Amino acid sequence: MICGQKKEMIAMLLAGGQGSRLGILTQDVAKPAVPFGGKYRIIDFPLSNCTNSGIDTIGVLTQYRPLELNAHIGSGQPWDLDRLYGGVFILPPYMGGKGGEWYSGTANAIYQNMNFIDLYNPQYVLILSGDHVYKMNYDLMLDFHKHKNADCTIAVIKVPWEEASRFGVMNADEDSRIFEFEEKPQEPKSNLASMGVYIFRWKKLKEYLIKDEEDENSDNDFGKNLIPQMLKACEKLYAYEFKGYWKDVGTIASLWEANMDILDPNVPIELDDPPWRIYSRSSNMPPQYIGENAVLSNSSIADGCNVEGKVENSILFPGVTVGKDAVVSNSILMPGVSVSEDALIEYAIVAENARICKSARVGEWKKPEIGKQHREITVIGGSVTIGERAVVPAGTTIDESIIEEVGE
Amino acid sequence: MSILGIVFSYSERENLRELTRLRTIASLPMAGKYRIIDFLISNFVNDDIYDIAVIARDNYHSLMDHLGAGMEWDLIRKRGGLRVLTPYAKSESGRDGLYRGSVEALSNNMHSFRRSMGDLVIMAEASILYSIDFNHLAKTHLNSNADITAVYTKQLNGHPTVPMGVAVMHFNENNRLYDLNINKDDMSAQDVCWSIGVFVIKKSLLMSLVADAMAFGKYDFLEDIIKRLSNRLDIQGYEYKGHLLEVSSVAGYMKANMNFLNANFRNRAFHRPIYTKSKDSVPARYCKGCCVKNSIISDGCRIEGTVINSVISRNVFIGKDSIVKNSVIMQNTEIMQGVSLDNVILDKDVIVRENRQLSGHETYPVVVEKASII
Repeated sequence: MICGQKKEMIAMLLAGGQGSRLGILTQDVAKPAVPFGGKYRIIDFPLSNCTNSGIDTIGVLTQYRPLELNAHIGSGQPWDLDRLYGGVFILPPYMGGKGGEWYSGTANAIYQNMNFIDLYNPQYVLILSGDHVYKMNYDLMLDFHKHKNADCTIAVIKVPWEEASRFGVMNADEDSRIFEFEEKPQEPKSNLASMGVYIFRWKKLKEYLIKDEEDENSDNDFGKNLIPQMLKACEKLYAYEFKGYWKDVGTIASLWEANMDILDPNVPIELDDPPWRIYSRSSNMPPQYIGENAVLSNSSIADGCNVEGKVENSILFPGVTVGKDAVVSNSILMPGVSVSEDALIEYAIVAENARICKSARVGEWKKPEIGKQHREITVIGGSVTIGERAVVPAGTTIDESIIEEVGE
Repeated sequence: MSILGIVFSYSERENLRELTRLRTIASLPMAGKYRIIDFLISNFVNDDIYDIAVIARDNYHSLMDHLGAGMEWDLIRKRGGLRVLTPYAKSESGRDGLYRGSVEALSNNMHSFRRSMGDLVIMAEASILYSIDFNHLAKTHLNSNADITAVYTKQLNGHPTVPMGVAVMHFNENNRLYDLNINKDDMSAQDVCWSIGVFVIKKSLLMSLVADAMAFGKYDFLEDIIKRLSNRLDIQGYEYKGHLLEVSSVAGYMKANMNFLNANFRNRAFHRPIYTKSKDSVPARYCKGCCVKNSIISDGCRIEGTVINSVISRNVFIGKDSIVKNSVIMQNTEIMQGVSLDNVILDKDVIVRENRQLSGHETYPVVVEKASII
């Protein structure tokens, strides 16, 4: 028998999404397992936030390509989530006596795991998603939720008005009570975007999950169905404004930007924050070695790297090698990437274990187009080899090895 | 045959001055993010030996803190696992104080060895770093039917002399040990077989030898068991031919660290993973205007100044216009602006304030004690 000690609040982390806008980066891994920030994976942020907020029971709902995610989470020990009562649980879709089904939506995923939640009989359930980078104390949000005696509290963040139409926007009164929710509105009435972080009273959520499941026309999605239903029924929904760094890393451009934010002292995402550490599984690699001819500037370099060339404004994950006379600038090199002598990498994301051979040129910027300030990011897929002297033009995505020289 | 690893975390022969005033030699930082004992314990674990007892004698606070329950070495095991054996304040004999020798240390911890499921013991000590195939060693021992197998080496990786205090062993034409003496001066290293402190012995034999020696008031394993009983016991030699680092003096410690700057040495040393306590530090940050040449840098560092030919441990800050050369910097150290360090060993938690200059020599590095402010 599983001993489910009663918990005040447990977290359910939605980690089943593919993150298709990340293209080849999520070909083999779920989006929450995508490497981020020099040694982390995206899911380390919500997991560490939970641990640092005193939440010790988390269900991680997986569906798409869960292998790396499962291996990464393991027993949960790196996040202090290997607990006697509670801890981290991987919850994939399962078969039952009357058959089974895939998770058809975010709400359905929670619906299918109601018995897991009931095991801990919590008063509150925190719903998280595994695709954002932020440091947040969920305990403060719970205080707010209790103070307002809310049925549901939705964390929101002020976004620039011109971007508001990309998000789910909350319209709330001066008491922060939400009276309207608009998914990606053309003309937003507010700039408070939903962060995809919800606290529900479990009894209330359960009631709506069951109702939502009975509705055949529902997409079983929190934002699209469940929240609007609750609003319609005049339940007490409140918006909790989060002030701090929060970034959706759903696209190649935003993933690149969020990584670069770490190198920018003016952006408030300080990872070197002892009271609020971000934990991750250790790579068990030796310390990095910086060679005689290396030139480094404004970069973050992880364990196991071996740098002989020039690295500027870049992030090197564990086990990356950069050969002599190679130049890496404004790029993200994921674990195990090797860059040989004299190669050039600019404005690129190079996925795990890719090999950039001698004198190859990746993402080289030839003639800046007039009026086009924004630089396209070049992406090299995992385990891809870019052959000697091959040229990968800026802004392209390469998912197959290039052995021969490519024409200009 | 299952193996029990016994590690002595202290060394009788070391003279590491301030470096071991507050810690035992096994927990001395090495190669940036490691402690000396990490190499030995990882060696055992990489050879599938998951039953390890660490004998602590004194100043073992940092050792306990580092090893914890052995999680990072995968040594939280139901069968075997890691045990750190600290001395009893009052021993069975009713005697207080430090162990009178390695035999007494073994004797006082016999209850733990008895409980271990291992029937073959590999003993090792922490002042010499090497990478050895323990399984091959054990197999050789069993095949030779020897009572004890003693591991020796002949060369010393660049050292012209045999280190002080190690046992020089003499073997006859049948590779059987007939004499042993402790090296007391700078002996030439050529063709001398000296012990790297590793012995293989059946647990039951070790137990009876230790009990006998204790009964006669003999307390030193080398002198009173290996040497005294060499005519009765078949003690076979096993040559270790790989690289090793010897740490018993401050200069030796410095040199051992500098060895890791050599690519060949590094590739060999890290051929198999070396495990250590995880600190959850961020990756190292290299700021605009920094300059780093031929150095080892660990995670959590923030480098604004210049680092040349140095080994830098975790969470070290090196400020603008500072130059750190030929130095070993331990963790959580803060080097402010305009500082110049050459041939210096900074222990943990040191703060070096603006514009300070410290310079030692390769043969006599300046050692700055833990938590000093300069």
